[in-house]
Amino acid sequence: MLRDDETERYGRQLLIPGWSQESLSGATVLIVGLGGLGSASALYLSAAGVGKLRICDGDKVERSDLNRQVLYSESSLGLPKVEEASRRIIRLNPFVSVEKRDVFVDTENAAEMIAGCQVIIDGLDNLKTRFILNEEALKQRIPFVYGAVQGWQGYVGFFHPPLTACLACLMRPDFHTRDRIPVSGVTPGTIGLIQASEVIKWLMGMPPSLLGRLLIYDGTDLSFETIRLEKNPDCPVCSKP
Amino acid sequence: MVIYLKAGGELRAKLKPDVDDYTRRVETEEGKSLAEILTGIGINPSFVAFAFKNGTLKRLDHIPSDGDIITLQPPVSGG
Repeated sequence: MLRDDETERYGRQLLIPGWSQESLSGATVLIVGLGGLGSASALYLSAAGVGKLRICDGDKVERSDLNRQVLYSESSLGLPKVEEASRRIIRLNPFVSVEKRDVFVDTENAAEMIAGCQVIIDGLDNLKTRFILNEEALKQRIPFVYGAVQGWQGYVGFFHPPLTACLACLMRPDFHTRDRIPVSGVTPGTIGLIQASEVIKWLMGMPPSLLGRLLIYDGTDLSFETIRLEKNPDCPVCSKP
Repeated sequence: MVIYLKAGGELRAKLKPDVDDYTRRVETEEGKSLAEILTGIGINPSFVAFAFKNGTLKRLDHIPSDGDIITLQPPVSGG
């Protein structure tokens, strides 16, 4: 049951047929990585009224983050991202509770990090950790909303094996990637909000549009293309019994 | 036979498009895999994260047919 001030705050979205605010307020969403992708998804999931955001990043804010990481400002420089992000999220929506994890995800902590959440948002900046999360999400049967950006280009997918393919069905984990990835600030904003949209739909029982599909976005010509992702019968992760 | 390769993101410069800004016309022998075709035109297949044709993912051992349009995508890892 929503309080009066919640009903007022969420009034515009409550007008949408089928909207289930209770489903959002009862949910826990894990956001791994509080960079450009995580900034966009955290702000809009908070504004939408997701009950609990578990946010995870072991990094501190740098000036070069500020072209895209809209959770932070000049006054955030040098401070832990989880602390700054938490303050911003709660300032935006005090009805949201935030669980802070000031660490990087690795094979040791991934299982505990994921446990108890309904869905995982990928806000990472490297392939290695994405594959760790992909594997752990499969083990715990929690959907993994993949997102990645570079330059003007971005990918988004909703992986939920065994219902769908997994990230390892799409690509190998061993690509060489740069340390300093070029990125236009608006690209992770676009991709992060698509991730947030898919999560909101999933939490309210609506089918995510990218379930078993991958969206390929290119900001240079503003193209959005989706492809079907079949499961790879030889996938090293999800084809294992 | 002739196939058309398109490339997204940073792969475009490596593909050297000649049809339009994204597409390269490639003459090749039938029966060759996508990986072999890429190697034949000087593109290391390891630069390609995934490929698709008609909206469906294709692996690099896929053997294209005459007239196919195949899109190549690079690894994208930032956040």
